[in-house]
Order: sequence, then C-alpha cells, then structure tokens
Amino acid sequence: MTLIDELIALLGPERVRHHPLDLLVFSKDAGVTTGDVVAAVLPETAQEVAAVVRIARRYETPIVPRGAGTGLAGGAVPVSPGLLVVLTRLNEIHDVDEVGLTAWVGPGLINLDLSERLEPLGLHFAPDPSSQQACTIGGNVGTNAGGPHCLADGTTVAHIYAAEMVTATGEMVTVGSEAPDQPGLDLRAVVVGSEGTLGIVTRVLVRLTQNAPDVATLLIGFPTIEAAAAAVSGVIASGLIPAALEIMDQPMVKAVENFVHAGYPTAAGAVLLAEVTGTADTVASGVDVIRSVSETNDAIEIRVATDADERALLWKGRKGAFGAVAQAAPDYYLHDTVVPRTALVEVMTKIYEIGDRYELQMLNVFHAGDGNLHPLVAFDAKEPGMLDRVQEAATEMVRVSIDAGGSLSGEHGIGLEKRGLMNLVFSDIDLDAQARVREAFDDAGMMNPHKVLPEGSRCFDAKGVRL
Amino acid sequence: MGWITVLPPERVDLDSCVTCGLCLPVCPTYRLTGDETASPRGRLAAIDAVDQGIAPVDERFGEIIDFCLQCRACETACPSLVPFGRIIEGATAEVRAQTPSVEGRLRRFGVTTALRTIPLLRSGAIALGLLQRLGLASRGLRTIPLPERSARGGSWGPGEGPVATLFIGCVADAWFSDIHQATIEVLVAAGYRVEAPSSQTCCGALAAHDGFIDGAEKMAEQNRAALRDAEVVVVDVAGCGAHLKDDPEFGHKVLDVTQVVAEAIDDGRLPVLEGNGELVAVQDPCHLEHGQGIIEQPRTVLWAAGYDVVDADRGGLCCGAAGTYLVDHPDTSSELGRRKATAVANTGATLVASANAGCEMQLRRFLDDGYVVRHPVEIYASSLAGEGHMSDD
Repeated sequence: MTLIDELIALLGPERVRHHPLDLLVFSKDAGVTTGDVVAAVLPETAQEVAAVVRIARRYETPIVPRGAGTGLAGGAVPVSPGLLVVLTRLNEIHDVDEVGLTAWVGPGLINLDLSERLEPLGLHFAPDPSSQQACTIGGNVGTNAGGPHCLADGTTVAHIYAAEMVTATGEMVTVGSEAPDQPGLDLRAVVVGSEGTLGIVTRVLVRLTQNAPDVATLLIGFPTIEAAAAAVSGVIASGLIPAALEIMDQPMVKAVENFVHAGYPTAAGAVLLAEVTGTADTVASGVDVIRSVSETNDAIEIRVATDADERALLWKGRKGAFGAVAQAAPDYYLHDTVVPRTALVEVMTKIYEIGDRYELQMLNVFHAGDGNLHPLVAFDAKEPGMLDRVQEAATEMVRVSIDAGGSLSGEHGIGLEKRGLMNLVFSDIDLDAQARVREAFDDAGMMNPHKVLPEGSRCFDAKGVRL
Repeated sequence: MGWITVLPPERVDLDSCVTCGLCLPVCPTYRLTGDETASPRGRLAAIDAVDQGIAPVDERFGEIIDFCLQCRACETACPSLVPFGRIIEGATAEVRAQTPSVEGRLRRFGVTTALRTIPLLRSGAIALGLLQRLGLASRGLRTIPLPERSARGGSWGPGEGPVATLFIGCVADAWFSDIHQATIEVLVAAGYRVEAPSSQTCCGALAAHDGFIDGAEKMAEQNRAALRDAEVVVVDVAGCGAHLKDDPEFGHKVLDVTQVVAEAIDDGRLPVLEGNGELVAVQDPCHLEHGQGIIEQPRTVLWAAGYDVVDADRGGLCCGAAGTYLVDHPDTSSELGRRKATAVANTGATLVASANAGCEMQLRRFLDDGYVVRHPVEIYASSLAGEGHMSDD
C-alpha cells in the first residue's frame, strides 16, 4: 500500500485527487506562490479528517489544510511535498442558539453563507473579509481574519468561543467552551490565527451578532488621499466609531467602477466608504458627523446610500477590489501592514515613493479606520526578474510601516509570504517561544510546516523536509 | 502538447485572471463538490497549464473542462472581467479535436449537421410528436403540435412599420412553436412587421458549447447571409440569443424578445394590463442573466401582464439543463434541477416564467404536476388576448 492507496481506501477515488493536472490546479491559492502537492483529499467528517491525519503521519507526509483557497499569503500552499486536506465539504451549520447567540459551524462553510442563512433570524457573523463571498470560516479562524466591519466588531478571535480540532496525532480535542469563562490558558485564542500549524479545526462555536436596526453607507470623494486620511482621523477623533471606514485611491476606484458601475467618482483622488449602524437616531447623527468632518477636509462629493440595493452595490465594489486589479495586470502582490492611524498619511506618502522608485504600478485600498493598509502592486510575473523586484519593493513598504510603529500583518496571515519578515517585529526570544508552543501541539512538525515562523526559529523546518 | 485548433484559449484572456477566487461560490459544480478542479479558477489553471506547455490535453483535462455547465455565472461574479465563456469554448474545442471518439463523431453530426438540415428536423419533430402521443417520450418537453407547425418563411403584421426579424432556431421551430406564435402576436401588437426569413438556420450555440467550432462557424455564415439586411433580430430562446449576440457581424442587431417587449411597454406602445392578483415566479436563465445581462425586462413584461412577480431563485445556481449537459452529466444535472424546482416551489407560485427553452424543459422535468411553465412573452400574450388563466398544454 502507498499513501495514495490508503487514502483511496478511506475516501474512495473521487475524493482523492492525485492526477498530475489536479496537483497543478491545487498547487496555488490566491497568492503568488506555487507549492508541491502530493494529493488533495476531500473529507466529509471530522472522523475522516482524523483518519487522514493518522495515515499521513505514518507516511511522514506534511499536512496542509485548505478551504476555498482565497488566502493571499500562501498559507494553503505546501512547501515540501504535502497532503492538502480540503475542508470545503465540512460546511454544516447546527445547534443555532437564538437566545445565547451562538452556532456550531463547519470550517468549510463560506463566510457569507453563514450570514445569509442567519438573515431570517436577524443575525450575522461579524467578521467580513473582503473575500467573504468565497472564503471559508476555517480560513477566517486560521488567519484571525478581519474585514471592513472589524473596526467596530473586532477580528475573528472575538467571535469564536470554541474550536474542535484534530491534532497532529489524529486525536480530537476541543479548545474553549460553550461556557462564557474558562479557567487556565486560553488555548482557543492560541488556535485562532495559528494558520493550520497546530492542528486542523473541524468545527467552531461562533458568536452571532444581531443585525443593526438601521444602516447608512456614505461614499465620499476627496481631492487627495491625504485629505481622505485626514477625514478618517477626524472622524475617529470625534469619538464616533463607525462600523467601517475604507479608503480606495484613484487607480483602484477606476478599476472597481469598471466592474460594478456603481457611480464611484473616478475623478476623485481618493474615495472614502464609511458605514454607520445602530438605531435611526445614532445613524442620523453619525452621518452628520462624517458629513461635516468630510466637508472640513475638502470633500468634493458626498453620497449617502440608505436602501439595501445601493449599499450592496457600493460594498460589491470595495469587496471586488483585489480581483479588479487584473484589469491593470495579470498578477498582484500585496502585504497587509497595520500602522497607527496618526501615521496613515506619512506612511502612504512613503509607499507611493517606493512604488515610483521601483517603477511599479500601485493601487491602494485599505481599512483606514484601523490603519490596516493593502498597498497593492499590479505586475506581470512572466516578465523576467519582475517578481523579485515586486517583492523587494513590498518588503520596503513593510519596513516603512513597521518603522512608523506599525505591525507586519493585520489579517491575511503570515503564511509563506511574510515569514521572512517576522524578525522585523519579533525578537529571537519571541520567536523561540512561538516555536515552543507549536512543538507542544505538533512535535513531529507535521502540520503546515515552513509557515509563519522564519527558517531556523527552532527545529521544525528540518523535520518538515525529512522526506 | 499545446493547442491545435484555430480558436484556442488566448493568453491575453487567461492573463486577465488574478486567481482571487470570487468566482468559486457562484459556480454550480464547485458548490456541489467543493473541489477546486470543478471551479472556474481551477479550470483556468488547467487551461493555463496546457497553454504553457506543462500539461497535455488528455482525458483528465477533458473531464475537467466537460464538467463545466458553461452557465457563465462566473463572468457576472468576476471583478477582473475574465471572458470565461470564450475561454471554455476554446478549451472544449481542443478536447474534441485532441481526444477523438466515436461518441464525439456522433455528437458532431447531431449538433452540427442534423440541426441545420430541415428535413431531418421536421421528420424528427413528427416522430417525437407521435412518440409523445403514444406516451413514450420523456417528461419535460411540451407536446409537439401535429400536424407540424412552422414559422419558417412567414411574415405577419402591417405592410409598413419597423421590421422585426424573428429568429426561429432549429428544434424550437416545431418544439416551441407556441413561443414563436406569442412573440409574433406581441410584436405585431407593438406595431412591428414580423418576418422569419427561410434561409436562416440553427444559431450554433450547441455546436460551439460542445467544441465543434467549425460546425458553429458554418451556421454563423449561413445566418450572416440570411440576417444581413435585418434591422433588428428578435430571439425568444435565451441560449440562442446569447450566442448570436457574440457574432461579430450582426450580433449588435440581436435583441432578446423581453428587451423589445419591455421597451414597447415603457414607451406605451404596448399596454400595462390590469392586475389579476395572480402570482408568477420568474426564473433567470443563465444565458439571459449572465450571457446577456438581462434581469429586469422579463419582470417588466410579467408585471405588465398583470401578475405579481416573485423571484424564483435570484442569484441562484444554474438549473442544470445547460444544453447537452443533462445527457453527459445526468447526476449533476438532476441535482441542480431538483434544487431549482425546490426554489420555485418555495415561492408559492404555480405559474413559472422562463425565457429559455432548455431551462423550461428542466423545470418541467423536476416540478411536480400542477405547475405551469411558460415564456414571459407567452404569459403577456395571453393577458393581452384576455385569455386569463394560463394552463398547461
């Protein structure tokens, strides 16, 4: 028997993809790196996941969990030849508690499907990454995903009460609990954001959020990105915490408008998309605050969308932003650094300078409210030397963010793409501690090796490649 | 390795994908399987691999390509505006050319030669009509009128006035003669003179979707000659319309009948009829919504017919008919058909409007008895004639 034979015996041939063409198709996520896939399996239950892990362990084959493959940091891309465990079929919703506002959901459930299914109950799942129509809850848990509305609601970790997972040895454990408070270490918070390096999450207990009684979305055009950023600072300084504050620069607005035809002002230097939620009174006063701060900052156009269709159209533009970049070039590369809001203008200026110096085409879209930048470089990877140049420029952009007191990643995860930059924000002692936590869960280095921690943090990397 | 046909997938089209994955959730086959190789992005990756010379056009490539319904929902969802329909047609043609089979040759005859041979179409329709009367034909198809009816070569309406050229299609001429009849009645009421030139032929959509580009091109040439002088070509089968609109020569003159009728209603050339308090569920055919970007017009037509219009499955998945797909992938097709029928049943309406013949057959197959499925223009024509309640044939 080989690894493939055993997997087929367990799951049947249709759920074990190993034809060379299938392996090529599965070798990438939404990022730029291509990996090395031994096989991709599609389990349907937690027990099957556990059995797959036990088989892979016997063959000393590293395991990489994958959801919809919308990640941008290479988290679901195996580096050393690895087995992809595709979790899209674990997509159940069960035990919805309308009083306690919780539900158990499978990791393969699409983020937006959860909120749409809960709509009749007036509930939703708050984290809303821009890929929410496609990305899965498992991926959200793995990367501790954010999204426009995390400004007011917090990132994924604040919305997961418990996680059931298969460990590296193929056992089932649950971290966190249905009870609101737990003694001891908060392992739930350790697992959320661990990018599949501690085990494979097979279901989570999510916190559900009540839909706001009233919502208004504002689309505001500014002459420059500086003016838009200054308006964001002004709104936050006023004491108002809007549900979302998003900025797009002119190149991005043009690409997006070409897709949605929502009437985004393509002549503006930057566009701010702001949303306020609450009772009718709070929404009205929030709209007033944003309007007056925007006017003070030279806004050239203010549009308030109050009906659901118009709001949905405006958000469709924002959430399709990354995809719309292909209108400029076939590939894109980006980091998701976080900077203090007060440093927004300064860092943005430097990022544009870097783009100019490397002669790269830049588009910007970011969660301005929490200073989470997405400087995006559009390029053609088939041009020789181009990817290296792009990555070099992107690294410089990360450095200026960190120098301004910021952090390496807000929400996309570290994966492969940013592991080499972890030294910029963590000391050797920090990294060693993180590596020890990982060893405690996975002493054999089976689970998504070569991810998150830089080469040489401890001994996993060597183990991961022992095949 | 590589491509051998004249219209293979093009590099510039493949490069327009940034692999963001926003197409995945709208893809019916991805939704059913959760499998990247059954998704638009996965198919593009496979096509890209062949284009780059790192994978051959082999049996597995054929499976990946053929599993696609070609519903083009991914095109509507794509922020990068990837022309997926064009790419997958090119890839399908390569599969047919590079993995020849007996079944493929039979099919080539079916969707290219047979569909443009009028005597074959006519005798086929008569045979099918007889089988239906003996209770031997499958559920889904309308009863084919006997003796046969044909709109071919006809002209209707006033001598002057704008001329609307009716596209009659291949099997639609006999199988869906009621729809053509309704289209003619409503267009004449709107002040058009309607003509159906006899030299036109099958639109070629089935041939193109099945990868027989040369056969589709022959049909296109014949239609170019037949329709060259038309002012406007009116199509009442969405699948044909979506294909004809892509024709480089006369595509710009092609309109779906719901576009023409909705505009006439907006202009006051056709009346808004009194509300009858009855419910109609409107189904959005993929080749109307994604292929032609038409969503509002069927609703306008049904509203003007006096009905309360509800969405059957707005933003939902393909019904699974998808041309010859129901023959090739009966399980997937049936699963999608059942889902669509459930969505229709959940609306509470028993009258369903579908502007595409293939979807109509699929809906009839999977809806219980007691549902009536009609083209929106038939429903409007019936209200216009004061016939009241729509019933089945």
